[in-house]
Amino acid sequence: MSAHRADPRLSRFDPLERIIFYDDFDEGIRGWSELIGNYEHTLDSMLAEYSDMRPPMLSNLTMWDTGAAGSMEGDYALKLASRARAGSLATSIKRLTFRRRGHIQLECYFTFKPEANELRLSLNDVRAFGVLFDLQDGMNPEYRWMPHLRYLNAQGDEMINRWQMKGATREFQKIGDSGETVSHFHLGPENWENVDAPAQTLAYNEIATKMNWHYLRLNVDLAERRFLGFQCNDLIYEGDPLKFISIPAMPNLNCMLNTAFWVESNRDKRAFLYLDSVLLSGEF
Amino acid sequence: MSLRRSYTAIVERNVLWQGEFASEPYESAWASEAIFFVRALEVSRDFAGTAHVQISADGIHWVDEGSSFDLPKSRDEVTFCKVRHFGGFLRIHGIASNDGVKVLVSLALKE
Repeated sequence: MSAHRADPRLSRFDPLERIIFYDDFDEGIRGWSELIGNYEHTLDSMLAEYSDMRPPMLSNLTMWDTGAAGSMEGDYALKLASRARAGSLATSIKRLTFRRRGHIQLECYFTFKPEANELRLSLNDVRAFGVLFDLQDGMNPEYRWMPHLRYLNAQGDEMINRWQMKGATREFQKIGDSGETVSHFHLGPENWENVDAPAQTLAYNEIATKMNWHYLRLNVDLAERRFLGFQCNDLIYEGDPLKFISIPAMPNLNCMLNTAFWVESNRDKRAFLYLDSVLLSGEF
Repeated sequence: MSLRRSYTAIVERNVLWQGEFASEPYESAWASEAIFFVRALEVSRDFAGTAHVQISADGIHWVDEGSSFDLPKSRDEVTFCKVRHFGGFLRIHGIASNDGVKVLVSLALKE
């Protein structure tokens, strides 16, 4: 039996050869920070979409009707909270670099809900949540590439329940006047495509104050630049590699290995994504 | 030695406050002490405003904690308020004069 199977906190994961990080949010925020856009001289120079991506927080999942639920394994989860505005995004990122271009695998346990400020089902009040990698080759880099995976829960009044990928970003825009800074917004509503996998209805559990935890896994090959597949609970996608955003390498991003999660509201109501724990493993 | 955990959240950034305002709710149950810092990024002449710390059991229903402080009146001026024993959720709420202030609000929390 491998060593991680004997550890009750790790035995629910299937890591690759070595663990790059394991973040149990009972220990704190663990290096997850708010995503912000690039700017020069003034915050007003930032692309508007990046101006307000909300700070992550530690939550013990306290509900007005039943008190604190705690996290899946412990007391605290990382919470991303949008504003109470349709289309508002909350996005948190952890920034690393890699030391070898091998396979990497992200695993997490998550749940999502709208703010429980109405006594109704609220099933379609969260539009989407997702996870992305922001990657660039190391020595003599050719590409920066960004695998995105989102679960589109609902759009307007329609339940969608589909996993989606993204193959293109928006045009780069110059920021400020020095010529040194550019920015592109890659979390807009355009260019999402359904993954060739069935719709998946994730347990919502009837009211906005009950949370069930879900498992998610993503696999990426840094050497071949392939987005290999994913698993969410009992849905396993191992078909053709998924599409991703690919752009020419940028001057100061070599070996970048960034991971980000986000959640988007579908109503003028806060949308919450909770992460009990996140594990990134790899071959290196 | 075990160090005390701490975290600073930027709960509002480059946001214009005119009239009634409230910062976004922030979960703070793990912390035992907090400081709200408000820095003025842009402020009009003769601006005046007061912020009141509010606490909440659920992040939805809010009540004044009892602490208040003035908002900054000049660019890059910082004002602050210390709070302890606040339960699960924190925000500041108040009234700013209609000419407004653009703020950056930091919430510094410590175990």
